[in-house]
Amino acid sequence: MSSQEEGAADQDPNTEEPSSSSSSDNDVTTGDIITVTIGATVPTGFEHTAAEEVKEKIGVDARISKDRGRIYFPITTDKLFQVHLLRSVDNLFVVVEEYDHYQFKGSKEETLTELQQLASKLPWTNALEVWKLNRTLKKKKGYRKGGNGAKVKPNSVATNALVPDSELPQEISAAESQTKVESTPDVESCKHEAEEAAPQEMSAAESQTKVESTPDVESCTHQAEEAAPQAKVIKFRVTCNRAGDKHSFSSNEAARDFGGAVQEFFQWKADMTKFDIEVLLNIHNVEVVIGIALTEESLHRRNISHFGPTTLRSTLCYGMLRLCKPQVSDVILDPMCGTGAIPLEGAIEFNSSFYIAGDNYDMAVNRTVNNICHIQKRRVDKGSPSGLPIDTVRWDLCNLPMRTSSVDIIITDMPFGKRMGSRKKNWDLYPSCLREMARVCRPGTGKAVLLTQDKKCFSKAISRMGGLWRKLHTVWVNVGGLHAGVYLLKRTGAVFGQTPEDVYESRGTVNTQGDEKDVKELF
Amino acid sequence: MKLLTHNMLTSHVKGVTKGYPLLIKATEVKTNEVEFNPQFVSRMIPKLEWSALIQAAEELGHRQDLPGELVPDYEKDEEFLKRVHRVLLEVEVIEGFLQCPESGREFPITRGIPNMLLNEEEA
Repeated sequence: MSSQEEGAADQDPNTEEPSSSSSSDNDVTTGDIITVTIGATVPTGFEHTAAEEVKEKIGVDARISKDRGRIYFPITTDKLFQVHLLRSVDNLFVVVEEYDHYQFKGSKEETLTELQQLASKLPWTNALEVWKLNRTLKKKKGYRKGGNGAKVKPNSVATNALVPDSELPQEISAAESQTKVESTPDVESCKHEAEEAAPQEMSAAESQTKVESTPDVESCTHQAEEAAPQAKVIKFRVTCNRAGDKHSFSSNEAARDFGGAVQEFFQWKADMTKFDIEVLLNIHNVEVVIGIALTEESLHRRNISHFGPTTLRSTLCYGMLRLCKPQVSDVILDPMCGTGAIPLEGAIEFNSSFYIAGDNYDMAVNRTVNNICHIQKRRVDKGSPSGLPIDTVRWDLCNLPMRTSSVDIIITDMPFGKRMGSRKKNWDLYPSCLREMARVCRPGTGKAVLLTQDKKCFSKAISRMGGLWRKLHTVWVNVGGLHAGVYLLKRTGAVFGQTPEDVYESRGTVNTQGDEKDVKELF
Repeated sequence: MKLLTHNMLTSHVKGVTKGYPLLIKATEVKTNEVEFNPQFVSRMIPKLEWSALIQAAEELGHRQDLPGELVPDYEKDEEFLKRVHRVLLEVEVIEGFLQCPESGREFPITRGIPNMLLNEEEA
């Protein structure tokens, strides 16, 4: 797999990274392997499962930031492609610099000024190398992200006057030594680059408008593809996330001022929607992290092409699946599958188990099948066997047409009462479906992973089922702005039909007396 | 609908005691290649109702000479496991019906999806 990196790094023997690079520790010359820190945003609550996945697939320890929903880990550039194999991350970025205890100045003015000054002092070199490398990886994988807009027409490129390569660096930036980085060395080695590199009339206005939207000259398969972006003015934006109550400034102000300084320093052009580089400024109390985004659009909706009203992010689905640790030949049921996001993620990522997705709603089962077909077509295009270990059934989850004790794991997103269903309905629904799920689930070894926002109703329902279900663990998550819980339950060894709970008919009203009293009243 | 799923489905019409296995009446059947994992197959076999699987495979014309009863040491017979793999995961009923063996109630299958919803009286 290291051939992917060669494209960017090794084929430009004539160029040299300026030794005036400001990053102190790394002697970076293109072609060397460098170590950088990668930051990843993950669904809040699943930081530990994400760290586990990093350990498993990349072999390094990730640390979990105090800023919830973020993890950080080191990686060497020869292994960069591995970050794109991670299924629990929403977005990835390469860290430029981190400050654990940033001393903010007293006033807003001073703070913002300091942020501006920071822009020119940061060790951008390595991060920009990784950014470049990452683009190569994405192109080679055939990623086609919409974010960068229209394709470049070869004609429009050719009409611009050709500028000798040697002039590039000066054109690009005032602070030459720093910014040679992005006037890529790649350009020099590439024979065809003159054409693609053409729009070098760096003057802010004109030629930009024609070719700026994407550096991806998709028609060119030569390495010049990588050359193109660096040969003209880079477009960027700054995204600032700020959390904490002691800051004297807003995220907009920080983004604006920091962005202004970055623009000044690199002579890049600011563009909020069609950008090549997204600079991230993350401020969480006194923790400040500056990074460059490696993902253009969030990875979280990767499997789903047919959405429903409450479709879960694939990264959240993955986190839930990891929690229940699917084993080879496990039969995994999602009795309220909606658009099938959870079982589909499972069929792809934990494919030595078998998934049955079910719902009572015809649109839901149809969307599920559409989503499955979509993935299958993608696999056929890649030349893999298209079949997935998943099936879809239309059923009533309170009366499942399944053999008793035939299922190993039940995993589902239960109706929240806000986005779907209603609170009143949940009072009846939760006990009934928990019982039915207990019936089909294998006693002793079976498990359930259930996501719900209606924590009160769920806890109450579960507390009356101690004979069938035992709570093992709860992960608190954020789903579309709603605070929800993912409950990991173990099916007890009790055979269904013999515990008080399943003999007892669920009642419509909620009894606030203790459980034991309720149960005793029956006998 | 794959035969692995069929092996776990049962009729739940009210009052029915022998709702398993559901009979299959298929009007459209497809085969689809699924990656073979011998461990998956050998560990799944004990979870199956073997005779129901054979009966279903027979109904679809995909029995492939599978035995009516399991032979010891099947875990090591890769040829056998491949045939089981095919029958469990690669044969799919796209259109047709499942039928309750006791009540005769039919559950339609469309686009590979069996509709097991019951009417109010039946539930």
